[in-house]
Amino acid sequence: MPTLTIDGRTVHADHGTFLLAACRKAGIEVPTLCEHPAVEPYGGCRLCVVDVTRPEWDGWSKMVVACLFPVEDGIVVDTRSERVMETRKVVLDLLLARCPETPLIRDLAAAHGIVATSFVRNPVPTDCILCGLCTRVCDTMGMSAISSVDRGAGREIAPPFRAPPPACVGCLACAEICPTGFIQFESGTRKRRIWEKDFDMLRCPRCGRSHITAAQADFFAGRGGVPRSYFEICDHCKRADLAATATRLAGEPATPARQG
Amino acid sequence: MDRIYCVIPERCIACGKCELACAFAHGSEGQPAATRIHIHRRGPDLGTPVVCLQCDDPSCLAACPVGALTWNARTAAIEVSRETCIRCRMCVAACPFGNMTWDDSRHEVAKCDLCGGDPRCVPFCPTKALDYVPADRAAILPDAAVPGAQR
Repeated sequence: MPTLTIDGRTVHADHGTFLLAACRKAGIEVPTLCEHPAVEPYGGCRLCVVDVTRPEWDGWSKMVVACLFPVEDGIVVDTRSERVMETRKVVLDLLLARCPETPLIRDLAAAHGIVATSFVRNPVPTDCILCGLCTRVCDTMGMSAISSVDRGAGREIAPPFRAPPPACVGCLACAEICPTGFIQFESGTRKRRIWEKDFDMLRCPRCGRSHITAAQADFFAGRGGVPRSYFEICDHCKRADLAATATRLAGEPATPARQG
Repeated sequence: MDRIYCVIPERCIACGKCELACAFAHGSEGQPAATRIHIHRRGPDLGTPVVCLQCDDPSCLAACPVGALTWNARTAAIEVSRETCIRCRMCVAACPFGNMTWDDSRHEVAKCDLCGGDPRCVPFCPTKALDYVPADRAAILPDAAVPGAQR
């Protein structure tokens, strides 16, 4: 079990974990925007930078992103050194220039003492912070329907050719995970629309309720090796079936214990 | 796992106290719709409580693409991690018994987690249709008294 020192505290980290997990284990909060337990670490937001050194390095240290740096025995970590705080401020300053109206960024920047960006404010404010959570969660689901496109200032998250993505099944995982609510969708009992693609909802043949799209059912059926009809009955009707089974197995219902 | 959650449907009088207790215990401020135990009502005083069976080979757990559902070895309950869940609702579609529900107001999936080993519905059940009994007692019960009792 690697033993490391974080902000003066001795921490026993688990093998194969990353520095961010060790910091949290020690109760030390490191800000991050692109980390999520459901997806692989990405190192996209650069907010979780920390200073890493070793006693034998003669005072030299290196800056790493905690979410991608594997724990090592004997390292000494400083999560709030001057250099680290300065770097975080630059990152937030840049993010604030890109997303000047996004509450998440404004609050985080304000917490680091930045009220207004020192760079040129984005003339077309956006809520997308390019954390990549949506594309990674789409990869995790197995669709990879969206990705980051273009480079530099023009970089954005979009489906291929900015057209309705053929691979998308309308699961909404990208919109649900988006920390700023940038990804828009419409969802009703009959229809769902996301990434400018329209989906028919899979409606329960008995009661008409719906939770997932027909495309989702097809995808789940293919992955799970079960017929699509497996997903058609909604949870309400499945519970009614279970209740009926339980009642049948229990035989004729007994006289109620309580009267009136 | 030294206790087993036991449902005896023929004792249920459909009073709805378990649903309210569940809704309160899970922080919905008592909106009955947010319950994870559902009484399937067959008459004014007759119901069948339907709640997660905590399956041995759970479809919800198999369907989850991110491992947000885990088996709690102490309570034998399958629990959802709110932090890890990506709200894809695959588990809702996968559960063959409809005991994985989507809570639209709180925007998360909800299932019975046995309240971490102290199911809050049990003390509120006036007829002991719901019980959390030592495993050795529950193993004898289904023999004569309660065919069809859950677990």
